[in-house]
Amino acid sequence: MELRGPPIRNDWQMMDPTIELNELEVQLGGRTILHGLTGVLKSRAIGLLGPNGAGKSTLINTLLGFHTPSKGSARVLGLDSHTSGKALRSLVGYMPENDAFISKMSGVRFVRYMAEVSGLPPDQAMERAHEAFVYVGLGEARYRPVGTYSLGMKQLAKLAQAIAHGPKLLILDEPTNGMDPPARKRLIELIREIREASDICLLLSSHLLRDVEETCDEVLILRNGQIASICNLVEERRANRKFLELETIGAEATFTSTLEGLGCECAVFTNGRIKVVMPDSVEIREVFKVAADRGVQIRRMNHRRDSLEDIFLNAMEQTGAADGRI
Amino acid sequence: MAVYKRRYNSYTGSLTPEWSRFFVLTRYAFADLFKSRFFVILLVLCMVPCLFFAGYIFIANNQTVQLLMQLRSADLFSVESQYFIVIVMVQTQAAFLLNCWVGPVLIAGDLTNGALPLFLSRPFGRGDYVLGKLAVLGLLLSAVTWIPCLLLFSLQAGLAMNGWIWSHLWMVFPIVLCSAIWILMLSLISLAVSAWVKLRIVATGVIFISFFIPAGLGEMFNAIMGTYWGRLLNFSYMFRLILAKGFRERSALLGTFGWDEIPVPAAWGVLIFVCLLSLVILNARLRAREAVRG
Repeated sequence: MELRGPPIRNDWQMMDPTIELNELEVQLGGRTILHGLTGVLKSRAIGLLGPNGAGKSTLINTLLGFHTPSKGSARVLGLDSHTSGKALRSLVGYMPENDAFISKMSGVRFVRYMAEVSGLPPDQAMERAHEAFVYVGLGEARYRPVGTYSLGMKQLAKLAQAIAHGPKLLILDEPTNGMDPPARKRLIELIREIREASDICLLLSSHLLRDVEETCDEVLILRNGQIASICNLVEERRANRKFLELETIGAEATFTSTLEGLGCECAVFTNGRIKVVMPDSVEIREVFKVAADRGVQIRRMNHRRDSLEDIFLNAMEQTGAADGRI
Repeated sequence: MAVYKRRYNSYTGSLTPEWSRFFVLTRYAFADLFKSRFFVILLVLCMVPCLFFAGYIFIANNQTVQLLMQLRSADLFSVESQYFIVIVMVQTQAAFLLNCWVGPVLIAGDLTNGALPLFLSRPFGRGDYVLGKLAVLGLLLSAVTWIPCLLLFSLQAGLAMNGWIWSHLWMVFPIVLCSAIWILMLSLISLAVSAWVKLRIVATGVIFISFFIPAGLGEMFNAIMGTYWGRLLNFSYMFRLILAKGFRERSALLGTFGWDEIPVPAAWGVLIFVCLLSLVILNARLRAREAVRG
């Protein structure tokens, strides 16, 4: 009987949520780590955020079927993580947070080995291993033992082994750990590229809000083993209008009324301070143009949009973590 | 994901059957082992006694050679059950040495840098993992124990003729069974040690200790308590007891312990217990999950 790799389908994504948690409770060593998590995450790229000890790794391990839920269930791509563990893991590529490699093996042999364990025939595994290595940018180093790689290269090798067998869901646990800014940027670009190039789903756990913000469409924020927030970033971005905080000299009612005429909402405060909520269609240069036309001096301008950091801090505050540390 | 396109693509090609994937680990382990010159030399040395045994069988069955060497048939040790006991005992000791070299690196290499979650995050269970590693030792130790023993048995059967094979066919069973239990016990002990001890030299020492220290403690227990049940801790003795029972022999070759003092089912019980204990130790160590902090 010939087995084949998971078929490329787009309809399952529409039918089944990427992750579905139903009163999921996980206990380890008699201690409850995840407290009845319930939620549905439908986006293709999901970020997992939370302070240390929030239960991110436990959740990932549970989704991979490493932990047995003491109550409730978790479904990934429509498959129960406990009862259909093997079937689920055949769809998954996993990049662990910690070091995970065989130091004496050359990079390409290591990735080939992992692809073969995933079920690829040796010749296919070899081909995909080379492709994956070149794809992540380690083509030149593929014949070197993984143990001799730098930290950033090891991260890329881990990514290569996670994608070599062509998974449907890529689970990345702290992928940019210990990487310098250019390497981090390159890895984030790669992740975005992978996401956009195929129908692959993504679950990314990170301490770096920027990583999640740049790669994910939906965020699950955990705190003390509970869901602090589930937030659809696409919708948030759409809903969160950008706004300007201005300090002006000589601003009169005509200035604000002209801006309102462009579709902005203005709130005037003392000492020439004005808050302008701008629709997406209005550019900042139009504000400058109006100010120049009306002879208004803009002494200070703060341009911002609600960021994931605001959402995260808000979630932390709502659940009692006023310091919002991560 | 073609190299020239530098683009990610899903894999839609054929997959190997799930049941056969454990053998990927075995294949890679063998490839690594055969890169070591020392291992190849050790493996060849483990086969050398078989050449002598084969030569002896040839001489014992060839009167022309006996005449040329001025040997009398009466002077030669007859190739019967005792002869095969000696072969099995020598080869199982060779297997022990080979196991001490190969076993300690099998799992430690994966655990040292946390590669285990990579295996277990695939459609590949802990059972498959242990089976893959066990197959390495199983095949290797088989190659120096029951396989050459059966070849020697075949050689003797071929040279002796006169229906020798039919009157001695029963010996195939103890050769295979006794080798199998020894291989299983050695392999599981090595894997359990390999799962806990990273350094090869220390792991090799621990394997030696796990055989000799309990035996010494058992003898101390016997001396103090005036009993013989302490010999249950001597795994080699238990194996020889089972071997002797299998070959229906009461030979001095089996040692000076007085082999009939311990019942054979107790010997089986000890060996099976050691296997189960090793599995429990392996089970405790082979976990995919990472540390949960906080």
